[in-house]
Amino acid sequence: MKKSLLYILLLAVIIGAIQCQKSSTSSTTNAGSGGSTARFAILGNYLYTVDRENLKMFNISNVADPVLKNTVHVGFEIETIYPFKDKLFIGSTSVVHIFSVDNPEEPRKLSTAISPEVIRRCDPVVAKDTVAYATLRTNSMCGGTQSVLAAYDIKDVTNPIQQATFPVSEPYGLGYADTALYVCDRYGLYVFNIQKAFAPQLVKQIPNEWYMDVIPFNNTLICQMQDGMNLFDITKRLEPTLITKIK
Amino acid sequence: MSTPLKIKLMKLPLLTAAGIGLFVCLNSCNPQYESPPSGETQAYVPVYKSDVEKSEITVSDARSTTNAGKIYAWGNYIFQNDQNKGIHVIDNSDRLHPQKIAFLNIPFNTEFAVKGSFIYANNGNDLVVVDIHDVKHPVVVKRMEDAFPYVEQKYPPQPGYFVCPDPEKGMVIDWELQMVKSPNCKR
Repeated sequence: MKKSLLYILLLAVIIGAIQCQKSSTSSTTNAGSGGSTARFAILGNYLYTVDRENLKMFNISNVADPVLKNTVHVGFEIETIYPFKDKLFIGSTSVVHIFSVDNPEEPRKLSTAISPEVIRRCDPVVAKDTVAYATLRTNSMCGGTQSVLAAYDIKDVTNPIQQATFPVSEPYGLGYADTALYVCDRYGLYVFNIQKAFAPQLVKQIPNEWYMDVIPFNNTLICQMQDGMNLFDITKRLEPTLITKIK
Repeated sequence: MSTPLKIKLMKLPLLTAAGIGLFVCLNSCNPQYESPPSGETQAYVPVYKSDVEKSEITVSDARSTTNAGKIYAWGNYIFQNDQNKGIHVIDNSDRLHPQKIAFLNIPFNTEFAVKGSFIYANNGNDLVVVDIHDVKHPVVVKRMEDAFPYVEQKYPPQPGYFVCPDPEKGMVIDWELQMVKSPNCKR
């Protein structure tokens, strides 16, 4: 039983993480990239939305004229959607639902993972090849121990294996560009070298501001701040240089 | 080891987890109020669809950010939601000198995505499609009524006092925190 609980926990973490980040799959053609807490996601010719309970899919082959194709009841207190390859990871406050969209208009529910209480809400994650990174934010009110950046082996997405953790303060969204991983935190931005995927190495901390989410977009790192937006040049991936602050 | 003991031991992690969950919930996630409020108190007030002229999607000059929301990158533009107000448009064609160029007023907007010069955004509970080929002259090309009913109808997002919603007044599209005299609901 212990093993199965651990398994459920790990699965929930990975999936919870994966579903929170959509910048790495800017999908096809001329869709853009979003941050990690979105309720709208574009995958190919479909716009997927999650409201409190339902997943809806709109065909946007004609971009000016979305057509509602299907509504699927997912669960309660849904918060985020993350498209990853041919799957949708839909996060709620307590559970993560995984759908296959092989057939974009007929999503098939593959599984549901239960998230334990210490893994609060949407714990954003990015997936890269066969590794996923998640920030697990604990909350002094609701228990838990140290907030961490965690690295998981996701060769088999139904069986994620935690490989490493790194203590951080109060993390939010995250994103990567090549071998640099950017982690948002209440007290600054962390930059990790992830050349060795399961041994993230902290190379820089940009302190003093509240970072909510990031989108690495070409050579620009777009940061959602608590009070606006910071933009960094990341031509040198591990050495973000502030371009400007927009408030 | 007797069988009943084995079962007990096996159930221990589950019971512990349930116990912790219960403890956490009782202690922090659902604060209990000791006494009803006297006089004015902070409470959530429902905003009804009929209260707002929702079709007013307009463009205005660039303005400062008041309540920073979600971000989105598309082509040479970066967008940032200003919670419940609309979307800041930033021209990023010279990426070392990005500039705010406009603000799209989309009342009660929190979510959006962009494809092919069209913004898909929620306008309260409606989904609207805004053509931004000419970003200074956005055009609403489609509105889908109540396609995105993400606002809870019966109670506000946070526990506490609130004004009971009146179904006869129509759909709730937002909950605003205000000072209220004797709010009649609590969660």
